[in-house]
Amino acid sequence: MRRGAIVRIAGIGIVIAILVSLVAVLIQWLPTSASKQMDRIEFVYWFATVICIGIFALVMSVLIYSVWTFRSPPEDESDGPSIHGHTGLEIVWTVVPAILVIAIGVLSAVVLSQNGSAGTNPMTIKVFAQQFSWRFEYPDSDGLKSGQLVLPVDRNITFELESADVIHSFWIPEMGQKQDLVPGIDTSIVITPTRTGTFSLVCTELCGLGHSTMRSTVEVVSQSDFDAWVAAQKSGGGKEDSGAAVFSSAGCSSCHAFKPAGSTGAIGPSLDDVAAAAKKAGMDPAAYVKESIVDPNKVIASGFAPDVMPGNFGETLSPEEIDALVTYLTGAKQ
Amino acid sequence: MSVVEHTSHGPAHGAGAPHRRNIFMRPGFVRGIWCFALFFVIGYYLVFGIRTLAGWDPHQDWNIIVLVGGLTLGPIGFLLGIGAFDYWLYWVSGRPTIPDDHANHGATKWQDYFKVNTDHKVIGVQYLATTFVFFTLGGLMAMLFRAELAQPGMQFMDTQTYNGLVSMHAALMIFVFIIPAFAGLANFAVPLMLGAPDMAFPRLNALSFWFLPIAGTMFLCSFLAPGGAFATGWTSYAPLASEQPIGQIFFNMGVQWAGASSILTALNFLVTIITMRAPGMTFWRMPLLVWANFTTSLLVVIATPFIAGSQFFVMFDRVMHTSFFVPEGGGYVLGYQHIFWFYSHPAVYIMILPGFGIISEIISVMSRKPIFGYRLMAMSLLGILVLGFSVWAHHMFVAGMADWLRVPMMISTLLIAVPTGVKVFSWLATLWEGRIHLNTPMLFALGFISMFLIGGLSGVYLASVPITIHASDTYFIVAHIHYVLFGGSVLTIFAGIYYWFPKMTGRMYNESLGKLHFWLTFVSFNLTFFPMHWVGLVGMPRRVADYSDRFADLNLIVSISSFALGASVVVFFYNIIVSWARGPIAESNPWRAMTLEWQVTSPPPIFNFDEIPQVVGGPYEYGVPGARHAILAGTPTPAEAAV
Amino acid sequence: MTAHAEAAVHGHDHHGPPIANKSSRIEAVVLGMFMFIGTEAMLFGSFFAAYFFVRVVNPDASTITPEKWAVWPPAPFEFPVFVAGINTCILVTSSFTMHWALQSIKRNNRRGLQAGLVLTILMGTAFLLTQFIEYAHVGFNTSDGAFASVFFGLTGLHGAHVLVGLILLTIAALRAFRGHYSPEHHHGVELPGIYWHFVDVMWIVVYVTVYLL
Repeated sequence: MRRGAIVRIAGIGIVIAILVSLVAVLIQWLPTSASKQMDRIEFVYWFATVICIGIFALVMSVLIYSVWTFRSPPEDESDGPSIHGHTGLEIVWTVVPAILVIAIGVLSAVVLSQNGSAGTNPMTIKVFAQQFSWRFEYPDSDGLKSGQLVLPVDRNITFELESADVIHSFWIPEMGQKQDLVPGIDTSIVITPTRTGTFSLVCTELCGLGHSTMRSTVEVVSQSDFDAWVAAQKSGGGKEDSGAAVFSSAGCSSCHAFKPAGSTGAIGPSLDDVAAAAKKAGMDPAAYVKESIVDPNKVIASGFAPDVMPGNFGETLSPEEIDALVTYLTGAKQ
Repeated sequence: MSVVEHTSHGPAHGAGAPHRRNIFMRPGFVRGIWCFALFFVIGYYLVFGIRTLAGWDPHQDWNIIVLVGGLTLGPIGFLLGIGAFDYWLYWVSGRPTIPDDHANHGATKWQDYFKVNTDHKVIGVQYLATTFVFFTLGGLMAMLFRAELAQPGMQFMDTQTYNGLVSMHAALMIFVFIIPAFAGLANFAVPLMLGAPDMAFPRLNALSFWFLPIAGTMFLCSFLAPGGAFATGWTSYAPLASEQPIGQIFFNMGVQWAGASSILTALNFLVTIITMRAPGMTFWRMPLLVWANFTTSLLVVIATPFIAGSQFFVMFDRVMHTSFFVPEGGGYVLGYQHIFWFYSHPAVYIMILPGFGIISEIISVMSRKPIFGYRLMAMSLLGILVLGFSVWAHHMFVAGMADWLRVPMMISTLLIAVPTGVKVFSWLATLWEGRIHLNTPMLFALGFISMFLIGGLSGVYLASVPITIHASDTYFIVAHIHYVLFGGSVLTIFAGIYYWFPKMTGRMYNESLGKLHFWLTFVSFNLTFFPMHWVGLVGMPRRVADYSDRFADLNLIVSISSFALGASVVVFFYNIIVSWARGPIAESNPWRAMTLEWQVTSPPPIFNFDEIPQVVGGPYEYGVPGARHAILAGTPTPAEAAV
Repeated sequence: MTAHAEAAVHGHDHHGPPIANKSSRIEAVVLGMFMFIGTEAMLFGSFFAAYFFVRVVNPDASTITPEKWAVWPPAPFEFPVFVAGINTCILVTSSFTMHWALQSIKRNNRRGLQAGLVLTILMGTAFLLTQFIEYAHVGFNTSDGAFASVFFGLTGLHGAHVLVGLILLTIAALRAFRGHYSPEHHHGVELPGIYWHFVDVMWIVVYVTVYLL
């Protein structure tokens, strides 16, 4: 072993470790956590990062040092020393990485178990995914249906996930937890939101041509604001089959902006001026809205694509519900 | 263009040479085309006839007609037409045949490369040329969809086309580029390294090659199908894949053809390595490239039938209305994923182990040192082989399978980092105190170690279930995939091509262009894929045609870098083509390596060796004066020849 | 030195490849066939995996009522266990006739070879015909649910392999009648024989799994 080799390698390694650590720390690699589960995921992530920075620095420093120190001019025809191996070294570099990865594994298993526990005072929300929209149901609030996800902060929420057609996946990035929705199988995931705010729910399993638009907003509010929202949904909607209630329960609000509903979805065209759109199609507003619900591919608004809006509302909604929607959307009195 | 040397065969070849039939009747592409059409028509009437007789409506079911006629019988007709079955048909019909018939062996002109040829060296080149055609097409598709992704919103294409391009890109790269490119390099090098005159089954070898262009063409033809190309990702999950337009079955069947090619080649390698080693070549004296292909072939033979099964089931669900993955009929949707990933995880080892073998060869030769820890290196290959079958469900951590399965899969996935780490440390120790020659193959080898290190470490993150719960199906996965497959496998393929180029062609590539190719690739590769780690972790899913505005800047950088990466490949093609045409003549052993392929001429004689060599030592005995790996009877050593 | 110059120096020309060294006692074609059978066994494995998912895993996971799976196959369907049992006997017997055929040619008994092959083919054909008739009368088809899917999948995959085996055996039989085989050269009998035994063993596994369990 050359004199000073260890020192030089260590020097290079420290420089690399510092540079990589700066990259790890100065750039925000993970979204700002919004759930307890994400907090724990972050811990595992940082644990793994420390180990990986160590390994990276070690390998790259030896590589760089070796290539620099032992490089030969092309004319040099000599061979290196005939070193075939070193049992002790080979044992060390088999056992030490094994210990390191097992450590990551043990920590991960603990976190996995913690992240999977439903927790105290749990709340349940059902999530329904269908190509290409999300709908939610609150069994703890008398089965309230909503096209928008509103969550109370600091509650342990168990999401029960169902898919109507193909595999979708439920993910709110800042909250870390992700779970597929699989037809024929009930799946669930636990999230405990830790801060209020507006977040995104994205589908993370390729589900067809509308996959990239299958997004929804998530509002996390205080418990009292949540209770107020629940109450407003139930009463403000009036009768269960009033247009506003259907607009929410059928999931329209997740894709369409409509001021009276307070929805801001941008996946589909805004419904704030259906009269103009009807005129453009040469139809009476009520007829136009009804057709757009039961046969969405008939007329596609410019800038939007066919086959994204579910085409089976004609079957899943009753004629009364559709009429209520039409009334609501055309601004006629309920 | 210098080609594999063709020595005259004497009377055995010349006597009784058949009168050359006309272009429609002699084996070749023309006969292949009309035989394809004929067999398609047979398939049509077979389907139509059976359905009419059985009274199943509709009688003219195009799904089944395309499947049977176009995707199964048609290609068999094509193979018949180009003559891939000729020898066997003569043999079973009782016509006099010579088992050592050397017609269709060796190449003297470029046309020979387009025929059914039984010479493993020709087949190796055929594989490389074909796979690089698919690499180019797959890469162009990537640049197309990166152009779309450069800005949020949809600019040039609709989401269905986008999904199709993404799916096609991956299918081409995995099934008809990386896996068969390694098969091609191995086809060329392994028999030479073993001291064998050819593979165990040369005619089977030729047949397995020809399955490959069929598979790739089949994938590409789905663009022409009504409803467009298959658009369900290369993973093609049920139940989405069971309800797609007809382009989907081009994927399902293309995978079968590519899989069959892979399996037959692997069988050939296994039998060759076990039964045709030169005298004195024990398993512990085999070069690591041979060890790597041995373990890869075991993986292929055991695992590939599972992807065949998964595709059969999806096709059955579609065409015969079975309920393998239909919950209403009692099917289990996740069954597809288990069966699919039981192959597709070993597939990633199929896509890297040969690369490990190539790197071991290059690092040893270019450092002038034996591979450090040769036996542990061989055993680590076996360790990866065994462990590789126990980790498949790490692709399903968020899929909704039985919860208890996740921790064991996590542990085995973490453990597989250990044999992989052993290899990286061994390569480093091989470099240590060596005489390092930084030529193009070595640059690619060193680049590989660094990039694969990053990809492997991101894999350690992903082994942890909680981290994957966050990172699954995001761009973090895309980053990981490309660091291990491009920064890993593709860099080793480039390294191997540069390393064996003088042996294959008899000419030397241009070293400056090679280095330029390396640096352009290395820089643009990192600029393209490193940002994806961040973009994925903060919230961008994969396989999306559009994304949230906050990812716009990085996506633009990634897209532009990807165009640079595409452009860098032009340097490679230019170098290879021009050097093959008129590069300087290469000597037999420009790298002064000890393995057997370098002890014969460049390119090698048609049957590799005049007499089978006698192996007397290990393949990496550098630094020991007078050490020999093998003695070639009657052939002077390079040192003697230089006198 | 090029190969041509080398040949000139040594005064001989090339007539073909040097004989490869045999580095293992097993013959290449036999090893190849055994490995091929290994691959085929894995293909059956994937079909057995599908069966496992449908029969064992799904009833736990499925939202379809588990009571439906209490009986296998679900009412009112039944598997023709007896007829398939007869088929099993036929196929097992055919392995004996195949073995007899191979032993015959090893002892230069050409008539025995021919008879053995013909009997094996007849029995294999009987097996396939019985299976076709069974399919026609079983009372359900592929679209009748997952149990039907795995039934037709496993038995159909096996039937396809029987067909391939019969084709190989027919080629061998035709060549046997032309006198192509001898005690020294009979790979063309031995290899299809190995394949046929595999088909037989696999049937026993399929039969037990699908019909009996």
